[in-house]
Amino acid sequence: MDVNKLVRMANQIAANLDDGKNPQRAIDGTVDHLKRFWTPAMRRQIVEHYRQGSNGEEVIELSFIAAQAVARLAEEQQQATA
Amino acid sequence: MSAAFQPYRRARDFGTPKRESQRQVTLTIDSVTVTVPEGTTVLRAAAEAGINIPKLCATDSLEPFGSCRLCLVEIQGAKGLPASCTTEVREGMVVTTQSKRLADVRRNVMELYISDHPLDCLTCPTNGDCELQDMAGAVGLREVRYGYDGANHFGAKKDESNPYFTFDPTKCIVCSRCVRACEEIQGTFALTIDGRGFASKVAASQNQPFLDSECVSCGACVQACPTATLTEKSLIELGQPEHYVVTTCAYCGVGCSFRAEMKGEQVVKMVPNKDGHANHGHSCVKGRFAFGYATHKDRITKPMIRNSIHEPWKEVSWEEAISFTAKKFKEIQAKYGRHAIGGITSSRCTNEETYLVQKLVRAAFGNNNVDTCARVCHSPTGYGLKTTLGESAGTQAFDSVMKADVIMVIGANPPDAHPVFASQLKRRVRQGAKLIVVDPRATDLVRSPHIEADYHLALRPGTNVAVLNAMAHVIISEGLEDKEFIAARCERDAYEDWRAFILEERNSPEAVEKESGVPAETIRGAARLYASAPNAAIYYGLGVSEHSQGSTAVMAIANLAMCTGNLGREGVGVNPLRGQNNVQGSCDMGSFPHELPGYRHVSDPNVRKLFEQDWNVTIDPEPGLRIPNMFDAAIAGTFKGLYVQGEDVAQSDPDLNHVAKALSSLECMVVQDLFLNETAKFAHVFLPGSSFLEKNGTFTNAERRISRVRKVMKPLAGYEDWEVTQLLANAMGYPMSYSHPREIMEEIARLTPTFAGVSYEKLDELGSIQWPCNEKAPQGTPTMHVEEFVRGKGLFRVTPYVPTDERTNSKYPLLLTTGRILSQYNVGAQTRRTANVAWHSEDVLEIHPHDAEQRGIQTGDWVGLKSRAGETVLRALVTERVMPGVVYTTFHHPESGANVVTTDNSDWATNCPEYKVTAVQAYKVEKLSDWQQRFQSFTEQQLEFLRKARAGSEEAVG
Ligand code: SF4
Ligand code: SF4
Ligand code: SF4
Ligand code: FES
Repeated sequence: MDVNKLVRMANQIAANLDDGKNPQRAIDGTVDHLKRFWTPAMRRQIVEHYRQGSNGEEVIELSFIAAQAVARLAEEQQQATA
Repeated sequence: MSAAFQPYRRARDFGTPKRESQRQVTLTIDSVTVTVPEGTTVLRAAAEAGINIPKLCATDSLEPFGSCRLCLVEIQGAKGLPASCTTEVREGMVVTTQSKRLADVRRNVMELYISDHPLDCLTCPTNGDCELQDMAGAVGLREVRYGYDGANHFGAKKDESNPYFTFDPTKCIVCSRCVRACEEIQGTFALTIDGRGFASKVAASQNQPFLDSECVSCGACVQACPTATLTEKSLIELGQPEHYVVTTCAYCGVGCSFRAEMKGEQVVKMVPNKDGHANHGHSCVKGRFAFGYATHKDRITKPMIRNSIHEPWKEVSWEEAISFTAKKFKEIQAKYGRHAIGGITSSRCTNEETYLVQKLVRAAFGNNNVDTCARVCHSPTGYGLKTTLGESAGTQAFDSVMKADVIMVIGANPPDAHPVFASQLKRRVRQGAKLIVVDPRATDLVRSPHIEADYHLALRPGTNVAVLNAMAHVIISEGLEDKEFIAARCERDAYEDWRAFILEERNSPEAVEKESGVPAETIRGAARLYASAPNAAIYYGLGVSEHSQGSTAVMAIANLAMCTGNLGREGVGVNPLRGQNNVQGSCDMGSFPHELPGYRHVSDPNVRKLFEQDWNVTIDPEPGLRIPNMFDAAIAGTFKGLYVQGEDVAQSDPDLNHVAKALSSLECMVVQDLFLNETAKFAHVFLPGSSFLEKNGTFTNAERRISRVRKVMKPLAGYEDWEVTQLLANAMGYPMSYSHPREIMEEIARLTPTFAGVSYEKLDELGSIQWPCNEKAPQGTPTMHVEEFVRGKGLFRVTPYVPTDERTNSKYPLLLTTGRILSQYNVGAQTRRTANVAWHSEDVLEIHPHDAEQRGIQTGDWVGLKSRAGETVLRALVTERVMPGVVYTTFHHPESGANVVTTDNSDWATNCPEYKVTAVQAYKVEKLSDWQQRFQSFTEQQLEFLRKARAGSEEAVG
């Protein structure tokens, strides 16, 4: 899938779950949302993207909250495969 | 009562409406003792006791009028002969309905009527079903002493302008039932009695032909007319029906109950069912008249296959089509993996069909790649209401609106999209309820005859959340909240968080005014009105959900209702108005990729186990692809096969260029539908579907009401839709062996706690059932969340306003918003194949005079409409209904390509597309857009492929 689209979606989720006061809760909410509504393949792809960066193509940046959430997914995936 | 075939008879008429009262009154009518609620008329009391007093101007759907003088009776101790239809019962009253004196007076009355009535009963279309005829018989009319040569109206001209009914004034008895029906039932006020005395006659608007008048062709007047003056053209053509079957309209989410009045397998007319719980005998032009598509010549009745979409179709047997599909799907899974195929269910299909498609995907395809068109309309409702209240459904019955003191309508246009409910809502407003409308357009609810909204919050598209937050801000900062309700019924910490958030300055009406364009004072006024009402109810539509913050807006609505205690009783609530007939049902049935039936997440092992044991398979614990994800995955090459039942994604989904690219990337696309719709033009297999008249099943309307759909004719192509899904499952190697949809409902009830008490037997017995229906609520649940919320305590969610990325700029300075109109339905595949096109033959672009003038655009001009997604051309309609800076169109006709322009922006939580906001530019053009030219040639080519298939089969046969 177009990774830019996934990034845009993740950023949107993060922004809407963020009340501006409690970033931890926004991150937890985003992680939970990605698990409940995204397919494993979509999650893998955004994690991959997070790990490897842009490969030189033009990409949108993950927002702070979204990046933290994806980092958490990355960790969990690592643990699952370890 | 409602079981299958009933011999034809006119529905029983009690003369005047039913009254409710705590007090009962007992009287004697013709020496029969009768007890009825206080306020009942003598006419109705008699009818309830089985005594039929002659009557003409009275009917039980209308308030009594007392003009014909046929229903006179003798009442002991009363002077003269009072009209029984306008006389209320009193304790101990003694009434005589038949006597020599009464008979003489009644015969006289009838004589006068008949002297001005043509005596062509034998050739009259309503012969055998005419109240005037019945009354002539009842009063024993034998002669007309006045003769027929006096002044009469025999020369008056028929009005046949309406495509569905005629108006033959020669037969009119000026009882004004039609006029009152248009006012009281429909609320359109299109008819009047023009002139006085002998010259008086029924007139539509300013003495215009019906078609050009304000008439919206709901049929209420036709239903009310006791003579052949207002008569269905289909009845004139076909003659009286001989039996009827009670069934449910397949168009909108009101879910009106109808009597399909039949002659053999032919529908003579569809008549709204008086006992229908959603519509109480009313209907709109779609359900009442627009059923001709079901037998339209464009129906495809033979399965077809082809290897590529650039090849002609080939008609084949069902066996061949099904095994071709199964083989392709299996090959795709072998090559690209289990997750490379999926299915799309439709809100136009029955619960049983939808249930079966998701079961096919989860059990036979072995993944969760199933989604439904509710994705593109009401998925935010599911998310938002589940999160806050605990159940993904509206909280009330439609009738609840009759107890509301303040009605707030947000992003919905009920007179066009939910007409029968709109009539009820308007009736309540005429009784004095206050009305708040939140909508960028000045819809009919803002101002129309006898309706004037108290507040119209004409907000800029995309700013719902900001405005709803500002309303809550006013309520909390002015101390208007219901503290007791909040303390007793809602989670405390969440409430405190929300309270702090909502009090922030960014949520004040003054701060929101700039962004939304709604004056702070208007927001304050509306908030105070909503909060101070004893009962305030919210109704909302796609103007709420189809935004990038759709889910947030739904939660903001729930917050508003919770903080004012407007939940858990009649007259209040949060009510999503569902677009299509079975949106609620298709969502209930587990059509979403992350949820099994009854809104239970696939990751829950207990729920999975329940289904796994019943279905004898392993269910994937991870969510599958949603429709937009399917398209993206198709373009990326990981998704290759799709089974689409009854849905037209290639017209109804946004960013059509993207959709077309996705669909063209599929290796096997299977479309099951009535017509070769836009999506089918990209298909490799076409499986003919069956219309709602050709199958058994159930629909669930916007108030969670489950109603039966009953088969009145054989499926044209041989199978009901659920049977086709079953064939496909078997061919894929997953056995299914249902013999009737009733068995599917039994399985649904077995596996879904909210449906536990639902069965076809109970539906026959009760007529309809509102879920949850189970041990706790064996008769169903009209009002939800009464003692506590489904989730226990209500949850306030913080609802930050995150503006959409879709902004206007110098290149795209206008905001496009989309919607629908009364006479057409969704993508229009059905309604475009009926005479409803008389009202809407093309989609037009509404533009404000100011914007039009700047661009030199006039009504009727071709206008190019361009967004960052695409470009199309439409005709302009210059109107002040839209505000400056906003343009509006509908998407009922494929060639207008409204969705070529809409973007792939979507709701953050559910990916529901943002149809309601697209930044565009509009300019005058001379010819169709490139897209339209490509569309035309693609369509022509595909139709040619269809013609070849049909010609091929004729050759083979001949
Ligand atoms: S069809 Fe409906 S809107 Fe038209 S005149 Fe009759 S009652 Fe009024
Ligand atoms: S058209 Fe029918 S309902 Fe209307 S006044 Fe004439 S007879 Fe009565
Ligand atoms: S389209 Fe809706 S309002 Fe009209 S008859 Fe059908 S269910 Fe009723
Ligand atoms: S029916 Fe009572 S006056 Fe006409």
